[in-house]
Amino acid sequence: MPTRVTLCEAQEASALKIATIKTPDQVIIPLQQHAGAVCNSLVSVGDIVSAGQLIGDGESRIHSSVSGEVTAVSELPHPTGKNVPSVVINTHEGAEKEIEPEELSTGKLRHIIREAGIIEPNGLSTLRTKAEIDTIIINGTNTDDLSSNAALMLDYPAEIVYSLKALMELVGAKKAFIVIELNSEALQVMRTETIPDRNIKVIATPMYYPPGTEDVLVKNVAKKKVPRGSTPEDRGVLVSSIAAMKAIYDAVHGIPMIKKVITVAGAVGSPRNVLVDIGTPIGHVIEECGGCNGTPAKIIVNGAISGTAQYTDQVPVIKTTTGILVQTEKDVNREPPAPCINCAWCVDACPIGLMPHLLYGYADSAEFDRCADLYIDDCIECGLCAYICPSKLPIVQMIRYGKHGIAEAEMEDLS
Amino acid sequence: MTFTISPPPHVKSRESVKSVMWGTVAALIPVSLAAIYLFGLPALMVILASVIAAVVTEVIIYWAASQPITAGDGNAVLIGLLLALILPPDIPIWIPIAGSVFAIAVAKYIFGGTGTLIFHPALIGFAFLLAAWPTLLSTASTPHLGSFSDLFLETGAGRLIEVSPALVLLGGAFVLYKRYVDRRVAISATILLIPSMLILGMGWQLPYILTGGFFLGLIFLAADPVTSPVTKRGRLVYGIVLVVLILIQLHFNAYFTGMCFAILLMNAFGPFIDKNTVPTPIGGR
Repeated sequence: MPTRVTLCEAQEASALKIATIKTPDQVIIPLQQHAGAVCNSLVSVGDIVSAGQLIGDGESRIHSSVSGEVTAVSELPHPTGKNVPSVVINTHEGAEKEIEPEELSTGKLRHIIREAGIIEPNGLSTLRTKAEIDTIIINGTNTDDLSSNAALMLDYPAEIVYSLKALMELVGAKKAFIVIELNSEALQVMRTETIPDRNIKVIATPMYYPPGTEDVLVKNVAKKKVPRGSTPEDRGVLVSSIAAMKAIYDAVHGIPMIKKVITVAGAVGSPRNVLVDIGTPIGHVIEECGGCNGTPAKIIVNGAISGTAQYTDQVPVIKTTTGILVQTEKDVNREPPAPCINCAWCVDACPIGLMPHLLYGYADSAEFDRCADLYIDDCIECGLCAYICPSKLPIVQMIRYGKHGIAEAEMEDLS
Repeated sequence: MTFTISPPPHVKSRESVKSVMWGTVAALIPVSLAAIYLFGLPALMVILASVIAAVVTEVIIYWAASQPITAGDGNAVLIGLLLALILPPDIPIWIPIAGSVFAIAVAKYIFGGTGTLIFHPALIGFAFLLAAWPTLLSTASTPHLGSFSDLFLETGAGRLIEVSPALVLLGGAFVLYKRYVDRRVAISATILLIPSMLILGMGWQLPYILTGGFFLGLIFLAADPVTSPVTKRGRLVYGIVLVVLILIQLHFNAYFTGMCFAILLMNAFGPFIDKNTVPTPIGGR
């Protein structure tokens, strides 16, 4: 059942245009911007760094987004809600570090993607396995009504297609799909851009949330099923994002992933898409977008349905950030939950085909084995069930609790 | 500066339990008004007695059990109104009161309240009255035999709900559109019932199922969100089996009470159907 989630007013065309903002006086660059272990810091307090310089290495690579002086390396708030070792850099005017544009060759691109520290919005690296890939799907839909994908496609259509072709050549994919929402202004732009390439198809999807779920995309676009415990790559499908395509283009031209286009929405002076240095505190971004209209009650990173509410506006923008949403007191839902009435709206809404109300009930009474029987691990936590629920039950929270309970039980079995 | 933190989602739909319950009540208002217009004061008395008794019973029981009083969510009003609508108007005033008290106290509260109850409280109340005082519940008239019932104002109506099939359908269309009742149950049962009656040679009973009572039964009672199954396949199965039960009841029983008992029987199968139609996630096992 397609469900459209509307949370902010229709985005004006002018707001889609990517704006740049002033570089902040201080950036906070967390050493963990990917799904994996924290990177090792390569700098210490007092070091002078330049933009594009490598400052963290490990499972992924992290570069400084500004030129300046390192003033601290310590645990600081991170958008996921925990404290993560971060490098704090006080900016001063400095020439951007020149990086030799490398010649593009198939062997090198894989190396470049790693060297430039390119991370998908879901926190994973673009190329994870060396599995054989025959189809690439680029997700150009707007997660949670954040329009940064559309903005990127409007401003950089050629660059995106360039990266996509390079990536196809690298993995040997025969066809590629770019998935865009029906009403998106980017649809026509991308169609025009891909006319010469017969093996790249632009696919229009109806507007519904969540459009960017990997498994759903693979099922609808590539017509392949992803069974439990396997990834789309195992089925020869690579799912990537518009943001990663732009980052690959930059990386090929010598710029590592140090900037990110994000959507600033909600109760701010001028909601729009902005190009932000990684590490910019979200408070600074909101200030640059006209500040808050009224007193902000809730600041959310990454969209209203699946994003994380922040307890401070000093958390930085990181590689996985796609947007910032500001809510005032009247937007915040404080309705207490009522008992489940078995209306089955969540069952209709679930894109995976689970039974969220039962998972909620079983997790609530700590019957984790029953949750496992009902495929709780397949839940992608898109939040649609909790959005639609007339009883306002915190279903996602309870499902996370259930998953945690199962993981703990498995740990006990092992020891 | 302090910010609120909470788990996602940070926006929620406007629909709530309250809007579902009161919305369903609102959908039944037109037919209630038509009943009051046709039957006069007795119909109004039945509706008021039933609704007030349901609300008062709910408040007293939840207060006595020191549980939060949820009478404001409209569920008790809905149960009272549904019970009143399936009764004839010319009954002693204590009949709807007794039915409502039984519906709330036994069928709703003892079974765990909204969401966990198995049998539709309004139907349980009706069944209780029918078992206790069958003679008092006989209707003064039945819709016209042998001819299609009048769609707009049924002057031969014996129960409040039978006064106007068109107004029940109007309310039904509203709740189906807003998904306050289950679409799959209501539509599969309605679509299947008419042709299967024709095939089975029960065509002469067709006028009965075009009365308001049947539309109320299929849309508001059978497709009630609380008692119908939740899985997508399960709801279709539920609607189909319900039609079979209704056909059997129609053969042996009076047309309206037959349908009510068919739905009650079907309510018992709901959890069983759910258990056997658990969907597989899109990725497969």
